[in-house]
Amino acid sequence: MKLPYFPGCTLYTRARGLDHSTRAALAALGIELEELPNWTCCGTAFPLAQDSYIGMVAAARILDSAAQHNGRLVTVCSFCYHVLKRVNHSIKNNAEARRKLNDYLEQGYGGETVPVHPLEILKHDVGFEALRARARGRLKGLKVACYYGCLLVRPAAEMAFDDPENPTIMEEFAAALGVEPVHFPYKTACCGSYQVLNAYDVVASRGREILAAAAAHGAQVLITSCPLCQFNLDWLQGRGEGTVLPALPVLYFTQLLGTALELPAEGLGFESHYVDPRPLLLG
Amino acid sequence: MVSVGPSGELCEKISEISGQNPFLCMQCGTCSASCTGIGVMDLLPRQVVRMVQLGRREALACRSIWVCSSCLACTTRCPRGIDIARLMEALRAINLRRGHEVLSPERIPAALLTEVPQMAVTCAFRKLSA
Amino acid sequence: MAEEKEMVSIYIMGKQYRVPYGVTIMKAMEYAGYRFIRGCGCRGGFCGACGTVYRKPGDFRLKVGLACQTVVEDGMHLTQIPFYPANKATYNLEELTPTLATLLRHYPEMTRCLGCNSCTRICPQELQVMDYMAAAQRGDIAKAAHMSFDCLMCGLCASRCPAEIVQYNVALLARRLYGRHVAPRAEHLARRVEEIKAGKFDAEIERLMKMDRLELQKLYDARDIEP
Repeated sequence: MKLPYFPGCTLYTRARGLDHSTRAALAALGIELEELPNWTCCGTAFPLAQDSYIGMVAAARILDSAAQHNGRLVTVCSFCYHVLKRVNHSIKNNAEARRKLNDYLEQGYGGETVPVHPLEILKHDVGFEALRARARGRLKGLKVACYYGCLLVRPAAEMAFDDPENPTIMEEFAAALGVEPVHFPYKTACCGSYQVLNAYDVVASRGREILAAAAAHGAQVLITSCPLCQFNLDWLQGRGEGTVLPALPVLYFTQLLGTALELPAEGLGFESHYVDPRPLLLG
Repeated sequence: MVSVGPSGELCEKISEISGQNPFLCMQCGTCSASCTGIGVMDLLPRQVVRMVQLGRREALACRSIWVCSSCLACTTRCPRGIDIARLMEALRAINLRRGHEVLSPERIPAALLTEVPQMAVTCAFRKLSA
Repeated sequence: MAEEKEMVSIYIMGKQYRVPYGVTIMKAMEYAGYRFIRGCGCRGGFCGACGTVYRKPGDFRLKVGLACQTVVEDGMHLTQIPFYPANKATYNLEELTPTLATLLRHYPEMTRCLGCNSCTRICPQELQVMDYMAAAQRGDIAKAAHMSFDCLMCGLCASRCPAEIVQYNVALLARRLYGRHVAPRAEHLARRVEEIKAGKFDAEIERLMKMDRLELQKLYDARDIEP
């Protein structure tokens, strides 16, 4: 199966590991991602001011360009997924948004594209049972904290991804890989996000709480689908500001998937992590 | 401080930009209890909403609106169904539209700018720069 | 009134002038009495010094062109924007690496792009400005360099940008980074330089230096011209 794919800017730079592991793991499962020929930044922030449409134009154009391919558009970064899904929701349900945004688009677009996250593909297209059969026993017994953060699940009505307070799709995914998901109370807490540039204390204190909660529940690694969550939680520990010992490797869920499928580790982008997960995963 | 006419006007302006009715708030404090940035805020989110109800300009001038990470925890949990993140954005928008910003490109240290993923820079500029 | 027919009305900064039909904006402005000291360069559509914004009657959209290349039309409103005093970073190219970090260090505001596409719409060179900025924003230096190759640095993109980005200077940095640090070195050039240094052409140069003007001219007229 071939599906159009929107990587997002950060997946070309700091989050190459997320891009490479997503492509490799899905390819191993028979899903080929075809990158859109031309794309821009999605905007990263869904505009929350009702009278501001300009911040939606980039995402609208991306959705529009994908509409020519077929129904679905795969994107894995939590920010991109959040923005594409909410802008699409606005175009579908808000006549003013649809009219104003179409003034900036080359074709007419009415919300036909369906943004999908690889976790949804794994659950509904591949199937967790089939995934269980494919995953080797390599990571058996590894205790994994599934960290959703904020943008993947909220707001529930527009994201329609999973329960906003107690999502379970990532735990189901982890269990299918043969690892042991640990439940911890901070899985939908925010890491402080873009405040890393403005109020670093928020990221430092929140990050320590999230990591400490995961470790207290026995986690050996933490998985996420967000490049900014990954960075904030990983960098904090890289700077020696984490309080969890040993340091908790912060992985993309697709890196865990690639490892469970025994794909070559060189293609999964582990080298850019501050806390090197390789001794634990591959040791 | 950014000024906005008589107090009723401020509340009206915020309702218009956010699409939310601040008077639905019953001051339960669920938003404050859920908030990511609470540790460095000068006003609790609940208090910000109260200031908006009262049309007080403290709502525009507080630090809280700038350390909000738009994580939508408050929005998701508000028992009165107020999208509080949109109220926060409206308060930022009124400031930003008058050129009052808290983050400008030249004020970010080069080492930090080149270390963080660019999505953080893009997002922070959208939220915090005019 | 044959002469009347061959004249058109244009509005330069709002003032009406009658100018000959079929001339370029630059010629028309000179006809109207303007004298160019700046805002005019090669007069051949290459240097980018004469960016001009105009609007035709009945259209709300602003259009752009180079004054030396765009022909006047009756009822056209226009003004030149020959220079844009936009942010321009200074750097030592030798010390830079061809990465996103380098672009961000010099032009952090590039991440403020809203994707409105105003830059692409106004580009007189018809470059996909928004798309090359998108490539720059994800650190794809080679793509940004290639896509912006025909940029004339007229600055009209920056004049329209709501995010106050200086697209043409970001692109210039991308092309410089590409040329200095990414593109493979030209091996044949290096070989030729070595040959020159080794004295391979000394005798020939010596012979040319001794020729008189007529001999040189004959040689020049008979030179090989690439098809």
